[in-house]
Amino acid sequence: MAMSGMRGLSVFISDIRNCQNKELERLRVDKELGNIRTRFKNEKGLTPYEKKKYVWKMLYIYMLGYDVDFGHMEAVSLISAPKYPEKQVGYIVTSCLLNENHDFLRLAINAVRNDIIGRNETFQCLALTLVGNIGGREFAESLAPDVQKLLTSSSCRPLVRKKAALCLLRLFRKNPDVVNVDGWSDRMAQLLDERDLGVLTSSMSLLVALVSNNHDSYWSCLPKCVKTLERLARNQDVPQEYTYYGIPSPWLQVKTMRALQYFPTIEDPNTRRSLFEVLQRILMGTDVVKNVNKNNASHAVLFEALALVMHLDAEKEMMSQCVALLGKFIAVREPNIRYLGLENMTRMLMVTDVQDIIKRHQAQIITSLKDPDISIRRRALDLLYGMCDVSNAKDIVEELLQYLSTADFAMREELSLKAAILAEKFAPDLSWYVDVILQLIDKAGDFVSDDIWFRVVQFVTNNEDLQPYAAVKAREYLDKPAIHETMVKVSAYLLGEYSHLLARRPGCSPKEIFSIIHEKLPTVSTSTVPILLSTYAKILMHTQPPEPELQNQIWAIFSKYESCIDVEIQQRAVEYFALSRKGAALMDILAEMPKFPERQSALIKKAEDTEADTAEQSAIKLRAQQQTSNALVVTDQRPANGTPAVNQLSLVKIPSMSNVDHDLGDQGVTQTNGTLTVVDPQPPTPSGGDLLGDLLGPLAIEGPPAVSVLSERNLVSGVEGASYADERLAIAPVEEQANTVQPIGNIEERFHALCLKDSGVLYEDPYIQIGIKAEWRAHQGRLVLFLGNKNTAPLVSVQALILPPSHLKMELSLVPETIPPRAQVQCPLEVVNLGPSRDVAVLDFSYKFGTYVVNVKLRLPAVLNKFLQPISVSADEFFPQWRSLSGPPLKLQEVVRGVRPMSLMEMANLFNSLRLMVCQGLDPNPNNLVASTTFFSDNTRAMLCLLRIETDPADRTQLRMTVASGDPMLTFELKEFIKEQLISIPTAPQAPAPVPTQAQPTKSPTASSDPGAMLAGLL
Amino acid sequence: MIRAVMVMNTLGKPRLTKFYDFQHVEQQQELIRRVYAVLCSRPENVSNFVEAESIFGPDTRLVYKHYATLYFVFVFDSSENELAMLDLIQVFVETLDKCFKNICELDIVFNYSKLHTILDEIIFGGQVLETSSTEVVKAVEEISKLESAANAIIPKSVSGWLSRST
Repeated sequence: MAMSGMRGLSVFISDIRNCQNKELERLRVDKELGNIRTRFKNEKGLTPYEKKKYVWKMLYIYMLGYDVDFGHMEAVSLISAPKYPEKQVGYIVTSCLLNENHDFLRLAINAVRNDIIGRNETFQCLALTLVGNIGGREFAESLAPDVQKLLTSSSCRPLVRKKAALCLLRLFRKNPDVVNVDGWSDRMAQLLDERDLGVLTSSMSLLVALVSNNHDSYWSCLPKCVKTLERLARNQDVPQEYTYYGIPSPWLQVKTMRALQYFPTIEDPNTRRSLFEVLQRILMGTDVVKNVNKNNASHAVLFEALALVMHLDAEKEMMSQCVALLGKFIAVREPNIRYLGLENMTRMLMVTDVQDIIKRHQAQIITSLKDPDISIRRRALDLLYGMCDVSNAKDIVEELLQYLSTADFAMREELSLKAAILAEKFAPDLSWYVDVILQLIDKAGDFVSDDIWFRVVQFVTNNEDLQPYAAVKAREYLDKPAIHETMVKVSAYLLGEYSHLLARRPGCSPKEIFSIIHEKLPTVSTSTVPILLSTYAKILMHTQPPEPELQNQIWAIFSKYESCIDVEIQQRAVEYFALSRKGAALMDILAEMPKFPERQSALIKKAEDTEADTAEQSAIKLRAQQQTSNALVVTDQRPANGTPAVNQLSLVKIPSMSNVDHDLGDQGVTQTNGTLTVVDPQPPTPSGGDLLGDLLGPLAIEGPPAVSVLSERNLVSGVEGASYADERLAIAPVEEQANTVQPIGNIEERFHALCLKDSGVLYEDPYIQIGIKAEWRAHQGRLVLFLGNKNTAPLVSVQALILPPSHLKMELSLVPETIPPRAQVQCPLEVVNLGPSRDVAVLDFSYKFGTYVVNVKLRLPAVLNKFLQPISVSADEFFPQWRSLSGPPLKLQEVVRGVRPMSLMEMANLFNSLRLMVCQGLDPNPNNLVASTTFFSDNTRAMLCLLRIETDPADRTQLRMTVASGDPMLTFELKEFIKEQLISIPTAPQAPAPVPTQAQPTKSPTASSDPGAMLAGLL
Repeated sequence: MIRAVMVMNTLGKPRLTKFYDFQHVEQQQELIRRVYAVLCSRPENVSNFVEAESIFGPDTRLVYKHYATLYFVFVFDSSENELAMLDLIQVFVETLDKCFKNICELDIVFNYSKLHTILDEIIFGGQVLETSSTEVVKAVEEISKLESAANAIIPKSVSGWLSRST
C-alpha cells in the first residue's frame, strides 16, 4: 500500500474505496463529516496535524461531489495562524472551498496582506497562491501595489516573483485600473529582460493580458518579445532544466508569439526583419519525428508561428509556404497534427489569395472525413464547408451525402444542414439542387429540419422548368419501400401541385398517383395528414374530366376525416369536401400556387445564428463574402402584363399571372382579375441588393385582390406564415373589417430599415403605399417619395408637409392634391446637411378616402449616417489619428449597456450598413471592432471619424464604445447615434421582418360587398 | 486561461479535480460525468482533442492524455495553445513520476494532498506557473521539508493564536 503523510486520510480513502456502492459511500462520508463537525466544535483539543488531516478529508469529500458547507470560518481563521502547517491548511482549504464572492474572504484580506508584505517567503507564496486563485475586486484594490513590489523586487527569489506576476495578472483581470499604465509599461519592459525563465514565462503571461487590453501603451515591449524569441529559437540560450525534449522552453516561445499577435503590426523594419527570420527558421526547421512528446512540443511552437505569420499578413510567398506546410500536416500519421492542420487551414481561408492553394488539398481533406477520430472528422467538415464554392460544390456536397449514410449520429444533423446550405448557395443547376435535397431527406430524414424541405418547395414553385423534374423525382422516391415521413410530405406536396405535368408517363395517372400516396397515409403522423388531404384535393381538381371512381374514393376519405379529432385535419376535410362539390370554385381556390417572394434562406440565417466556434465562424464569414451561384436566384424574365421585369438580379418575383390565366382558361373559367399586377412589397433581402431599387420602373402597387386571388393568397400566407407543417395549407379565415385605417407593417421597423438602405417602403395602409428612393452625395441628398394609390377610386385632399430639423435644409416639390386610381406620383425632395445632429425630419402626410381621413406623421430616413462615406483606413493611418485625438471632447468613450445581443459578425454587418467601414485586423483582440468613416456637412469639411467597439464575449449585452473625430459635436452625435442603433434597432436590417402585407389579405371596403369575398369569408 | 484540471480513472472516478473558475459542487460532478462520457467512448490512437463547447460553453477547448488507468484532462480557452497544453499535461505527469518513482493510480489516490501541492506549483490561478519539472520538484520538496519539520515538533499548544483570533 502506498504511503501517505497522513495516516488518517489514507484510512479514510481506503474506507471509501472499499464501499461497495454509492449508498455505502454516502453513509461513510456522512459519518466522517459528522465526526469532523464535532471535532471542529471544540477546537481546543485539535493539534495542527489533526486539523490538517480533517481539512484534507473535507477536500477529498468535496471532490467526490458532496457539499461541505461548514468549517469555512475555521479555514479562514487558520490563515492568520503563526505556524506554517496551520497556515498552509488554512490557505489551501480556503482557496478550494470558497469563491471570490464569499463573505468570509473579506475577513482574511488583512491577514493575507500581512503575509505578502512580511519577510517570510513561504508565507508570501501561500498568500499569493490564494489571491491568484480566488482574489476578487477587493483584493485587487488593497493588494495590487504590494504584489507589484514583490514582482519587481530584486531581493525576492524567482519562486516568489513568478507567483507575484501571475497574481498581478489575476488582480488586473478583476480590476484593470489597479495597473497604472503610465507607470507600469516601463517596468513591464524591464521584466522582459529577466534571465530566470520561470519568472520570464509568468511575466509573458502578464504581458499578454495587458496588451490584449491596451496594446498602445506597451509598444516598448514589442522589440523585447522579438529578442526573447531570438534568444530561445535562434540562440537556444536556455538552461538545461527548461529544455523540453530538446526544444528550448516551447511554452515560453508560444507565449511570446501569442503576445506579439496582440500588436496590430510591427512598424520598425529591423524588428520586423528579425522576427521574420526567426519565424522562417521555425517554419522550416520543424520535422515530424518519432517521439510523440517532442512532436507535440515542436508543433506547438510551429502552429503558433503559423498564427503569427497569418496575423502579420506576410508576403504571399511565406503564406503559400504555410499552406504547403499545412497540406503536409493534414496527411501525416500523427492525429494531433492532422487535427490542427485542418483547423488552421480553416483559419487560413480568411486570408485572401490562398484559397486556390487550399483547394489543391481537397482530396486529402475529404479523406479526413473518414478519419477514425470524430474530432478530426468535425474539423474536416468545417474546412470543406468553408472552402466550398461554385467550382467545387458538386464534388464536396456529393462527398458529404455519401458520408451521411455512415456518419455518427452526433454529426448527422450538422452534416445535413451544411450539405443543404452548400447545395443551395452553390448549385450549378437547379435539378441538381433538388436531387441533393431529396437524397438528404432519403438518407437522413430525421435530421432534415422542416426549413430544408420548405426551401426546396419554394424553389420548385418559383421555377417552372423545374416542376416536371421535381414531380418525376418525387414519384420515384414514392416507389421505395420504406420512406421517411418528411419524404412523404415533400413528395405529396410536389405531386399535388405538379403531378398533372406528368400525366402521360407510365404510373403517373391521377389514380395511380393517388393510390401510391394514399398507401402512406396509415403510416404518417397527424402533422402529415393535412398535407395529404390537400394533395388529394389538388389531384381531384387536376383530374379533368373527373373520374367518378377516384372522386368517390377521395370524397370517402374527406368524409371519414370530417369528424377527426384533430382540428386542422377536420377543417381541411370539411372544406375540401364542400369545395370539391362547387366545381368552378374548386378550380379557383386550388389552382397552382403562386410564386413565393424571395427571402433570405432560413437555413443560412439559422447557420449564421448558431453559436459557432472561431474556425467555423470564419468559415461562415467567408460564406458571406463569397460569390454565390446565380442558379437559384434567377428571376422570371417573362413580362407580366406587359411590364418588363426590372432587374435581372433583383430577387423580386413577379408572379406570372399569365400562367394561372392559362390554366384557368383551359377549364373555361373567366379570370376575373387578369389585369392585376402583384408586386412583392417586401423589403430587399440583404444579400440581394435593392429590391425596390426600381420604384422608378413599374408601379409598385398592391391592389385589393379579387376573390380568386384573395383566396389563393390566403393559401400562400398559410404556407409562408406557418411554422408548423400542419398549418401549411390551411385556408386562413378572412379577418373582420377594421373600423379605422390601420397601417400595414410596422412603421418603426420600416423607418429603421430605411436608415440602413436607400430605398424601400416608408408607409403602407390599405389605400396608399409610400415608397422612398434616395441618393446621397457628400452633404447633399435627393429623396424621391413615391405615393401610390392602391385603389380603384382616387385619393383626395392629399397633403405632404415637411418639418425639417434645424440642421437640415429640405425642399419638397409640389404634391398633387389628388392621386388618381392605381396611379403613382413621384415627389422629389432635396436635402442639404448643415451639421451633425441626430434630429430627424418628419413628413406630415394626410389624405382622404371615402369617409376616412388619414393623417400620419412619418420620420424621414435623412439621418446622420446618410451623410457618412465609408473609408478604408490602414493601420499606418489609423493609429496616429487615433492617438492624436487624445480625449474628450474629441474622443469620447462610453460603456453601453442593454445592447441588443448580436454576434460580432452581425455587428460588423450593421456598421457596414451604417456606412461605418469595419477595418478588419486593425484591432488584435478578436472581440473588438474598429471602424472608420467620413462625415460630410455644409458647415464642417469632410471629417474623419474613428470608432472602436470592445465587446465582452461573456456578456453580449454590454460593450465599450470609443468614438473620435475632429469635431466635438460630431463625436458626441455620432456616439449617441451608434448607441441608439445598438440598443434599439429591430432585427429588420439583417433579415427584413416578415412583411405583414404578405401574411394577411389586404382589405378593401369593396371586398365586403363583393360576393366573391363573401364566399371566401365563408370558407 | 486554464479553466479546469481533472484527473479521473478509466471508470470515471475523479482522482483530482480543480476548477479555476468557481463551479458548484453539483455542477462539478456533472462536468466530470460528461467529460468521462466523451472520453470513454474514444478509441486508442486518435487525437488528444475533444470538442468541449457542448460541455463547458463557448470558447472552450479540451485536451486529454490517457496513461494506463488514468485520464488527465485540461480544459482551457482560446488564449492557450492546444499542443502546449498537451505538453503541460506531460510535464505534470513527469513531475508526478519524479516525486513518486513510477507513479500508479494508487499513489495518486493516497497522496491526494501532495497532488494538490504539485499542481499548485505548475498552474496558478488558471495560468501556467512553471514548465520545468525540475523546478517544480524543487519547490515541492521545499514544502515537504517545511511540513515534516513542523510535524516533528509537536506543538505544545495552539490555543494561543486561537484565543487571539476568536
